[in-house]
Amino acid sequence: MNRLLAIARKEFLHIVYDFRTLFILFMMPVVQLVMFGYALNLEIQKVDLAVMDHAHSPASQDMVDGFRGSTFFRVFFYRGIESEIEHLFQSRQARAVLVIPREFGQKSPPDTVPDVQVIVDASDPNAAQVIRNYCTQVIQQYNGRQGRPLPFLFDFRPAILFNPDLKSTFFFVPGVIAMILIMISALLTSIAITREKETGTMEQILVSPVRSYEIILGKVLPYIFLAFLDAAMIVGVGLYLFDVPFRGSWLLLVGLTLLYITTALSLGLMISTRAKTQQVAMMAALFATLMPTIMLSGLIFPISSMPVPLQYVTQLIPARYYLLIVRGVMLKGSSFAQLVVPAMSLAIMSLVLLLVSIRRFRTTLEG
Amino acid sequence: MRRIWYMVFKEFLQVFRDPSMVALIFVVPLFQLIVLSFAITTEVKHLKLVVADLDHSRESREVVRAFSHTDRFDIVGFTQDIEQIKAGMQNWQVQMALVIPPGFGRDLRRGIAPKFQVMADGVDGNTAGVAIGYAQGILLGVSRTVQAEHAPKLIPASVRPVVMTDRMWYNDNLSSRQYMVPGIVVVLLTILPMMLSALSLVKEAEIGTLEQLMVSPLKKIQLLAGKLIPFLILSYVELVLVTVLAVAVFQIEMAGSYGLLAGLAFLYLLTTLGLGIFISTLAKSQQQAMFVAWFFMVFMILMSGFFIPIENMPPFLQHLTYLNPMRYFMVITRDIFQKGSSLQFLINDVVPMAVFGILIFGSSVVKFRKHAG
Repeated sequence: MNRLLAIARKEFLHIVYDFRTLFILFMMPVVQLVMFGYALNLEIQKVDLAVMDHAHSPASQDMVDGFRGSTFFRVFFYRGIESEIEHLFQSRQARAVLVIPREFGQKSPPDTVPDVQVIVDASDPNAAQVIRNYCTQVIQQYNGRQGRPLPFLFDFRPAILFNPDLKSTFFFVPGVIAMILIMISALLTSIAITREKETGTMEQILVSPVRSYEIILGKVLPYIFLAFLDAAMIVGVGLYLFDVPFRGSWLLLVGLTLLYITTALSLGLMISTRAKTQQVAMMAALFATLMPTIMLSGLIFPISSMPVPLQYVTQLIPARYYLLIVRGVMLKGSSFAQLVVPAMSLAIMSLVLLLVSIRRFRTTLEG
Repeated sequence: MRRIWYMVFKEFLQVFRDPSMVALIFVVPLFQLIVLSFAITTEVKHLKLVVADLDHSRESREVVRAFSHTDRFDIVGFTQDIEQIKAGMQNWQVQMALVIPPGFGRDLRRGIAPKFQVMADGVDGNTAGVAIGYAQGILLGVSRTVQAEHAPKLIPASVRPVVMTDRMWYNDNLSSRQYMVPGIVVVLLTILPMMLSALSLVKEAEIGTLEQLMVSPLKKIQLLAGKLIPFLILSYVELVLVTVLAVAVFQIEMAGSYGLLAGLAFLYLLTTLGLGIFISTLAKSQQQAMFVAWFFMVFMILMSGFFIPIENMPPFLQHLTYLNPMRYFMVITRDIFQKGSSLQFLINDVVPMAVFGILIFGSSVVKFRKHAG
């Protein structure tokens, strides 16, 4: 135990003496959280819509007013011909074009001509989908004003729980916390052992009487402390700046966050026992955390939409579980009983990672 | 000149001697391309849906059937208890619920709009909003079929509602992959050159071999050239590899010119390699270099429009993105792939990207010379 603490102390001093790294470690997450808290927003707005009104009738005017009245669109008139639409899209002056044919608003429109046509620049398919939905809505409202309601026979009432205004920040701020924590933690420990190997001090440790598990645990301990400070700081900033509600128990979040940090640090450590150079260790840590966390954890993209084999892959990603925990505690006020599965998954993961690290470390010792 | 080539040769040896380095450079990005091109979709599918049918009429069963016939929703359970739905949402077991109140079928037959409630877990606001839209669409379909039975008495045929047709240009089946894979090309051309150049320079400094190089007859510019040329070549190899895979395996349409893409990629690589050199002059250790590089990267990726459209951001952040060289290359690459844009349409992005490239690369080289001297 004493030896373990001695290693921990040594590792801690390493960190504290390195002001630049410390500074980066505490400033960077805050800056990132602030930026992404504001930047991560999937609500599309202010779409440039070019209107080609060939009818110039009161009816077409009313239709255009409907589009103008919506804050979703920025409407401008374009007096050109259809073949110039390509130019509008290429030069990015418009993302959608509304074409109102000359026959529009006449008493008996010919069946061959579409009523109105919306042409969308679908190079961003997600945005295109949303634009199409908005156009449909505006036209439905137009039909309503003109006394031609589309038949909708239900009194439709959505009830939205936990986040009635569907705010993106409520969803993303806890997510960014999960992302920052895993990257900081994994990067920190990924070089903890490689550095000793590279600078040659590993052999000095090896000839000392410390056991391999003492080295591994001693190296993890100070980082748990450090990463936890980081976590407390960004959660605080998140709550204060973005008004994210906190409905659950603080104690529960603290406990499970420690668990998550341990998992992330163990992941870094595992990489560290494997890699020969710091360069490889850090690149591996980055690839193992950054992209998978952004893409596969449910941080932005819903897991249920992925192909099934990939959904199994997401079960290997620690952030997936922590996202359930942090969003659950903050937004849903979840209790421990409701979070047992993700908590157990994280615990098992850390245990396996730590055991593998110790084992692998021991074999390097003998080899 | 020969000295530079020796240096280039040494760098290549150093990279290829280390199998894990080779794996990181080639296998990992490919793996990412494969996994991520399937994962990145903001489409909403297979939402976990619970049905509380309190009516048990023919009409209510019709509604449930309509919901079970789409891949947007997976019906995971039936219940009679609203509290159970709420508990399920808290457990992440249920994302949405339909509540069909008693008397639903009766009202519908009489032509009274019956109440119909949809409960949604709003934590993921985007998904919830989209899902409610889907639900509305499905209900509209049901209401049309019901209406077909009772139609004549409900709506006079003379007032036909205006119908909209739509055309989706450049991507008519709205495939996410078509949009995201070109983005991944840009991400790889950012991460790889920046990290390789930053770490390799700091490494020489850290283990002390930079001094040996300094006292060798190599000029500093030659030293730098010898370091950067291999990474430039590796980046191009990566670009070719990923583009070929994207087109051949993922069936991504390449509407534009490969030559134009390769040419503009050079301007962008000036930026990322330059940033690598810049970081190496800031950092004292590989760890610091890594953290700084990571910071640059996360900033650049998230502010590039890769998966969060820039138009969605608040105005001050939108202005900030003009300082992000990746933003320009992201637009350029996507437009070349999807729209087949020519230089004429891209010039507004090419010019700032070139300016950034030359400025960053130039000043980094100057800074490196001072720093190393």
